[in-house]
Amino acid sequence: MQGTGVGWRPEIAGVVADLPGLGFCEVIAESVDPAAPPRGVVELRDRGVPVVPHGVRLSLGSADGLDRRRAEHLAACAAAVGAPLVSEHVSFTRVAGRDAGHLLPVPRTREALDVLVANVTTTQAELDVPLALEPIAALVDWPGEEFTEAEFLTRLLDRTGALLLLDVANVHANALNRGADPRAVLDALPLDRIAYVHVAGGSEHDGDAAAGDPGVYHDTHTDAVPDEVLALLGELCDRARPAAVMLERDGHYPPAAQLAAEVTSIARTAGFRDPRPTSPAV
Amino acid sequence: MSEQLAAAQAALVDALVGEAAVPDGFDAVRLATVRRALLRKRAGEAARAWPLLAAALGRRWPAAVAEHLDGVAPGGSLRDGWDVARALRARGALPSSAAGELAEREAGWRHDGTSAPTRRRLPAVRRGGGHLFVQVGGRTHRLGGRGA
Repeated sequence: MQGTGVGWRPEIAGVVADLPGLGFCEVIAESVDPAAPPRGVVELRDRGVPVVPHGVRLSLGSADGLDRRRAEHLAACAAAVGAPLVSEHVSFTRVAGRDAGHLLPVPRTREALDVLVANVTTTQAELDVPLALEPIAALVDWPGEEFTEAEFLTRLLDRTGALLLLDVANVHANALNRGADPRAVLDALPLDRIAYVHVAGGSEHDGDAAAGDPGVYHDTHTDAVPDEVLALLGELCDRARPAAVMLERDGHYPPAAQLAAEVTSIARTAGFRDPRPTSPAV
Repeated sequence: MSEQLAAAQAALVDALVGEAAVPDGFDAVRLATVRRALLRKRAGEAARAWPLLAAALGRRWPAAVAEHLDGVAPGGSLRDGWDVARALRARGALPSSAAGELAEREAGWRHDGTSAPTRRRLPAVRRGGGHLFVQVGGRTHRLGGRGA
């Protein structure tokens, strides 16, 4: 899998299908019925565009165990679209009968690492293709953490053999919100394990200084990709050029030309050749 | 697997989407920020499931969602929007176009207000937004124009 991709969503199916030189696409696993995948996704697959199911509700960090049916569903999605790999998050969304409806961070502790390793291993046993894990953008950190994010992630990947799905917007968001240097974070991450890279938009919200709130960067996926995130993609490529990079957009979709321009910016920043129409040149 | 960690995770979820206090050691300001962000995200998702309702409220939509769903566990975008629509109808603040959308949903689905909506097995008729919605065999038909 290589080149520039886009997260396929029903609202932008036509735009994605018309993008010149599309290298791959991602589809939200929970939105796919393996018995009848979305027609637009099937058409891309039949054109030879690799399709990667991206899970958002598997909850690999749940300390009360994995919902095996969801792991089976992810595996069935991979088979249905002939995926070269699948991806999920280093996160929990459900626990003890509760559903946050959102990706929440796990504490970076030995205990949580053991939970993740167990759940990831169980998931991998269901899958016929590799699994890539994506660190999330988190606005809160747990008390009593024992590892940095890079240390935690390196241990998780080493113990499970999973690949890394690196989201440079998440690196930007976390560094900004923790007051860290995102380039130093990149230097510490296991970049040799990258399967592919996410790029997404976000927005800064002013805080309330009187309430001790310094403001935050929200990884919204509904805003344009900020220059800082594109610059960080460039920093990543200077260290280890990934084979595949994609744009993630989840709402407030811009006009087709604007979306295509963002994809082109990503391709250029990553040093890929400018996308060209797939039809043979005369 | 790990009971202590599971309990801590549950406490975090309860503090973010329920009414529970901030667990020890967490940054209360940041948790409040996440809580607001989650409500904004739910508003966006519910707007996709309830386009007429969200459009009728316009810029007031995120605030309406926050007002009615803050502290309510996420129930999916169909149910989230449904609960907001019913709350607005109860106080006579549901715009006409949204009333039609709600009546159409209520003709086709059963929603007890506490769990996920399910499709009706029996025919049903609902009136709203100047239309009559008749559901038979899982298909809902809109009858009549304004005043019907």
